[in-house]
Amino acid sequence: MEIGPIYRALMRNRLGVILIAAQIAFTLTVIVNAVYIINDRGELMARPSGTDEANLFFINNIGYGDTYNEAVVSAEDLDMIRQLPGVTAATIINAIPVSGSGSSTGMATVAGRIEGVVPTAVYTVDEQALSTLGVELVAGRDFTATDVRYRNDSIARGDNEIIITVAMAEALFPGEGMQAVGRTIYDVNQNASVIIGLVARLQAPWPQSSFVENSMLIPEVYIDNSAIYLVRTEPGQRDRLMVEVEERLAASGHSRILRNNRSLEERRAESYRIDSAMSTILVAVIGTLMFITAMGIVGLAVFSINRRRKQIGTRRALGATRPDILRYFLLENLLISTVGVVAGAVLAIAFNLFLVQNFDMSRIDWYYAPAGMVVLLILGQLAVIGPAISATRISPALATRSI
Amino acid sequence: MLKMNQINKVFRTEVVETHALRNFSLHVQEGEFVTITGPSGCGKTTFLNLAGLLETFTSGQYVLDGEDVSRLGDYQRAKVRNEKIGFIFQSFNLMPDLNLFDNVDVPLRYRGMRAAERKLRIEKALDSVGLLSRKNHLPSQLSGGQQQRVAIARALVGEPRFLLADEPTGNLDSNTASGVMELLHEINAAGTTIIMVTHDPSLATQSHRNVHILDGQVQSDNTNHVKAA
Ligand SMILES: Nc1ncnc2c1ncn2[C@@H]1O[C@H](COP(=O)(O)OP(=O)(O)OP(=O)(O)O)[C@@H](O)[C@H]1O
Ligand SMILES: [Mg+2]
Repeated sequence: MEIGPIYRALMRNRLGVILIAAQIAFTLTVIVNAVYIINDRGELMARPSGTDEANLFFINNIGYGDTYNEAVVSAEDLDMIRQLPGVTAATIINAIPVSGSGSSTGMATVAGRIEGVVPTAVYTVDEQALSTLGVELVAGRDFTATDVRYRNDSIARGDNEIIITVAMAEALFPGEGMQAVGRTIYDVNQNASVIIGLVARLQAPWPQSSFVENSMLIPEVYIDNSAIYLVRTEPGQRDRLMVEVEERLAASGHSRILRNNRSLEERRAESYRIDSAMSTILVAVIGTLMFITAMGIVGLAVFSINRRRKQIGTRRALGATRPDILRYFLLENLLISTVGVVAGAVLAIAFNLFLVQNFDMSRIDWYYAPAGMVVLLILGQLAVIGPAISATRISPALATRSI
Repeated sequence: MLKMNQINKVFRTEVVETHALRNFSLHVQEGEFVTITGPSGCGKTTFLNLAGLLETFTSGQYVLDGEDVSRLGDYQRAKVRNEKIGFIFQSFNLMPDLNLFDNVDVPLRYRGMRAAERKLRIEKALDSVGLLSRKNHLPSQLSGGQQQRVAIARALVGEPRFLLADEPTGNLDSNTASGVMELLHEINAAGTTIIMVTHDPSLATQSHRNVHILDGQVQSDNTNHVKAA
């Protein structure tokens, strides 16, 4: 090993070394944190909504005119949809999970209590809600047709029998969420609701919300001329049925507007668009930085090899084999890169702590910095291998030929 | 020691073919001090490069130290250079970024010698050229003559069987040059075979034997009866 003389020679040409090491350190700082953010976002985006997303679509139905009677039309529409071949179930619902819009409220275990109120998304649905959403009932019972109350502004919201998510039950009754069936909880107007069932998981409409796992299903249809039909199909039938349902609704002769005929998958992608755009940008930043760093390493190597052609020829004359020359430049790069990645690891952790303190971010896992160091060391070796191989081709005759 | 038979060296570029050496034959015995002279472009450096295995030749046979080295591969040639040959260059060719100790160390590193033994040898070699006290200096802190002495120490440190020098005094003034020549004579007296290319006719007379090259061929080969002290 000839690390000693390589190191001492490098110390005589510090500027280039410092610039490249600083570039490596900076790159490491950025990629470690960027990869962490990407993974973090990825985990967020990968959370299941609890529904059978792949086979769900919805359509907005807005009626108009004096003769339009939503109670009649929606019953007729749902009947038609449920009978179509390929449709598993359908429900009328006020909001779509992970869609970005919906309604929420706060529930407490004691009437009138303000502190300890648990925020939750509210889904008003009919009796086919659970089978349509595809959520899993883990305790209690499902809704029946007689549970469903049809209501408009002239009928006040009364007491309800409701189904909530396990996460919400845990928030209301810490440690005994699974025993929540049969218990009564209260909304801000002190209306009582009896929990009749628990579902394993059903996300709120807002994926960024802090209570995204808290959802409450109320068996209620609100008659106001505007409705969302949510339809679950057999696998592979969704896209065909999206077209068919819209065509049949349009052909039914009622005065209405049909909007937003979308699959849940599509809606989900839109809700996470900023997250996935950010990940794409970060990937581009990482790629660009790594490329620039690699080019910097190649540039420095080519420059220093060209400057030392005669020295390399002399080393060859004095007995260096081609592998010796190759090893020299790989080792030299390893030394520079090691300085860079050590500094970079320190900077990366410091930068992460800064993000933790100033933004809503968590600490990076311990293995991110070492993994980044290894990646950049390998990148450095790969970048220098081309110039180093060209250095091995320098003829030993250069020792006597050129001045 | 060194036997070249019917060596041809042709440099081919896109435009011209240069016959740098043609049917070149030369035998050098162990312990000789041979000077090579001849007009510029006659092929002196080419001969030295072939003798030192820095370049390959087009045809002919070269036997070095009893071994036919005509067709050795690149790796083996490097090993032969490292173990059997010492080089001294006109422009010294020291590594500017390394101190004298590390400079002399270069050939030993390629021999895979233990650090303790290397240190012993390097200090002995630097001492023999009178520069041990400056082992931590950089080449740029030395005069030309001193730099060439370091280069000689580097050539000797591996204890080669013979030494090849291409105008070792070409960049030095005459006083410094004669100092370097004295050193070479001492080295030769200690048993190392030396082949030296020179332009200086007075230096040529100081050797055992002077070979004059013209147009890539040996034109005259004279034994000098007058030897320098
Ligand atoms: N790499 C090369 N490519 C092409 N021609 C070359 C090359 N090296 C040397 N020559 C040619 O070979 C011939 C011999 O060159 P060489 O360097 O051996 O001469 P020399 O006797 O050492 O001259 P000088 O006294 O000027 O150093 C010259 O004509 C030269 O131009
Ligand atoms: Mg020459």
